[in-house]
Amino acid sequence: MTTDTHSDRTAILTASLTKHYGDVEALIDLDLDVKAGEVFGFLGPNGAGKTTMIRTILDEIRPTAGRASILGMDSHERAVEIRRHIGYVPGDLAMYPNLTGRDTLTYFANLRGGVDWEYVDQLSDRLDADLSKKIGDLSSGNRQKVGLIQAFMNRPEVLIMDEPSSGLDPLMQREFQAMMREVATDGRTVFLSSHTLSEVQRVADRVGIIRHGRLVAVEYVAALRSKAMRRVELEFGSPVDASVFEAVPQVRDVVVYDHRVVLSYDGKMAVLLKTVAEQYDIVDITTQEADLEEIFLTYYRDEVTV
Amino acid sequence: MLATVLGKTVRDRWKATAIAAFTLGLVLLMGMAVYRDIDLAVYTDLPEAFRALVNIPKDADVGSLAYGAVYGSYGALTLAALAISMGGASIAGEERDGTIGLLLGNPRSRTQVLVSKAGSMVLLTALGTVLLWGAGLIVPVLLNVDVSGMQIGALMVHMFAISIFYGFLAMALGAWTGKRTVASGTAVTVLLVSLFAAGLLPLIEGVENLAKAFPWYYYEGSQPVLNGIDWGHLSVLIGATVLLAGASFVVVNRRDLRGRSVGVTLLDRLRANPITQKVADRIAGSARVSRIWIKTASEHQGVLIATSYIMFLLMGVMLGPMYTFIDDRLITLADSFPEVMLAMVGGGDMSTPEGWYQVETFGLMAPIAVMVVTVTIGARALAGEEEQRTMGLLLANPITRSTIVREKTIAMAVYAFIVGFAIFAGVALGSVLGGLGMSTGHIAATSLLVVLLGLAFGAVSLVIGAATGRVRLAVYATIGVALISHTLNAFLMLSDSLAGYAKWSPSYYYLTSDPLMTGMDWGHGAVLAGLTLVLVAASVALFQRRDLRQG
Repeated sequence: MTTDTHSDRTAILTASLTKHYGDVEALIDLDLDVKAGEVFGFLGPNGAGKTTMIRTILDEIRPTAGRASILGMDSHERAVEIRRHIGYVPGDLAMYPNLTGRDTLTYFANLRGGVDWEYVDQLSDRLDADLSKKIGDLSSGNRQKVGLIQAFMNRPEVLIMDEPSSGLDPLMQREFQAMMREVATDGRTVFLSSHTLSEVQRVADRVGIIRHGRLVAVEYVAALRSKAMRRVELEFGSPVDASVFEAVPQVRDVVVYDHRVVLSYDGKMAVLLKTVAEQYDIVDITTQEADLEEIFLTYYRDEVTV
Repeated sequence: MLATVLGKTVRDRWKATAIAAFTLGLVLLMGMAVYRDIDLAVYTDLPEAFRALVNIPKDADVGSLAYGAVYGSYGALTLAALAISMGGASIAGEERDGTIGLLLGNPRSRTQVLVSKAGSMVLLTALGTVLLWGAGLIVPVLLNVDVSGMQIGALMVHMFAISIFYGFLAMALGAWTGKRTVASGTAVTVLLVSLFAAGLLPLIEGVENLAKAFPWYYYEGSQPVLNGIDWGHLSVLIGATVLLAGASFVVVNRRDLRGRSVGVTLLDRLRANPITQKVADRIAGSARVSRIWIKTASEHQGVLIATSYIMFLLMGVMLGPMYTFIDDRLITLADSFPEVMLAMVGGGDMSTPEGWYQVETFGLMAPIAVMVVTVTIGARALAGEEEQRTMGLLLANPITRSTIVREKTIAMAVYAFIVGFAIFAGVALGSVLGGLGMSTGHIAATSLLVVLLGLAFGAVSLVIGAATGRVRLAVYATIGVALISHTLNAFLMLSDSLAGYAKWSPSYYYLTSDPLMTGMDWGHGAVLAGLTLVLVAASVALFQRRDLRQG
């Protein structure tokens, strides 16, 4: 999925970006460099500071310290110029309930000064959106589609989206992911905030991981995937000894329950099985992809002690 | 559950009640202080018919004048308006917010929810009544004014009864329709019409008894502050309230609850019809969203139509012919009024058509009408989009924050001028129909001044919304500012030594120059326009510097 269309041009840059709400530190010294032409996934659990970061670079709120720029323009000084080149889907999207989808798009098109309606119709077909109904009468997924069209419709240089696929069914999510890839192929940039690792893995080139307002890591998706840790549960014919499992490289958190053992593992499954099978008689195996939280806690434990 | 819902509603709303009571207490203090310093003979010498109209008892003294002027109308209007706001929102508000499903997901019935809401309304109205009562007892002591013989307790009991009556009226309408704006809008209209009718009808020979058809009559008709509680009147109000409460419980259990869905308007139906679709699409669709101010204006059509209609027909056209039917005793009063008296009723001398219109239309109703429109738009202009969480999306477009302030101000100004024109047209037509011969130019001048006054208060709500992002705060604080401005001007003008300070009140620049008789005072108009511009500029500055709220 990773492409090399992105260049060395910078789409979004933040330098020591910090935002405090009173005593609460929502963003702390955030340094981020999103390249033009990439899909950048911004991952973090709820309340990590993803939305605060997006609202800050869009000049909705002002940083306590540090600065941000989009396409080389200062996010505050040249906010209006920046907005000519971006598309935005806010988290927890709200629109005007008494306008139809088409009225809503017309409104924003008028504020932008012209939009290619043929392209809007294409987008609407792809997402199977109903633009004739009032926003207030749409289900949240269908409302989300109008929000997505609104962001894509003027072919922006940078798309900034905060949890954009909420409410979309799996089929639409796939279509939406394809649309994001096309934007990147076009040399344009997607900044995608999400708390779902699987979504980001499918579409992003790189991910940044934010926790408690701090950027704890920026990784290529390929690298992150190789780290993808699994929970492994093994059942044996006889009681087992923990030390056997702890001796295998890349095994963590071993817990033994008599005939059963549960452990975390991010190496090759063949290595683990071979070592274990030499000593014990394996009866059953279940494995499960570790969730995002576990990966965070495992790999970024040092960074996230707050 | 009962206690939980009740507690939450009380927590959400007690501040408004406290602020209202505090403001009214302050106004009472101001009123009594001024009345104490002036010669009251000007009141007691007035002919009876006139005294009855402006609520001055025969043996008027400082206490009865102040209670009558401040509590008699403003106090009851404020408490009733707060009760209406709570009553209308009780079930319909939760429906609009989409929270009713969540609430009823708990093992409790609609009846129980409604009981809790009704309980909180009654409780808060009682709180407001007690606070006002307390202020009414403390203020005379502070100012060393003798209020013996004044039955303030009786007045407060009547005030409480009329307020919860209107609260339950709004609750019944909300329970029936599920539409909060319909419920509170209709209840407020009934309130204003009944206030107007109960004051006016007794003046017209032959129809005096019609006043009894209006609820307000049972509040003030018996002058409880002088005569004590009128149990007959009180039981009419309580009986009607019980009926409305009963009706609420019946209707709320019989209908489908509304989802978050928006209503279907006439334009929507026209858009759905193939024959009218093209035209309707242009009006409702592309034209409506062509500019920010046009879209903003389109969202407030309802309030514009209602206020323009009431001002044009009821307060304008109808009052002209009515003047010719009014009791002759009023008209023979010509020239006998002392200057100081005129200020108090908005400068109106009822013996002339101009004075008639000034007392009935321009004194209070016209500024309220324009303010309803300007404050509705002004308070929601910025804070509304923030609370609805649409501001972020709007500002993702290549426009500045000041553009948004400018566009919203245009919408507010356009609407203020439309209401102003309705007032002008109504009064001018009323004058023609009644053969009153008023100057069209002077009517236009007065209408222009009321537009400018309304815009100044609209700008107050805009600036508060810009600074805080909170709609409710902007609305209530502006009402407080307007109330203080109005009474400050009315009272200070009565006192020779203090009249100069009235210039600090925006209301001074509205009727002080007597525009219905003398025409436009451009200087005064310029003060109001200048104030508006300064406040709008301040809104831009404050809004630009602030972090947007996230809803």
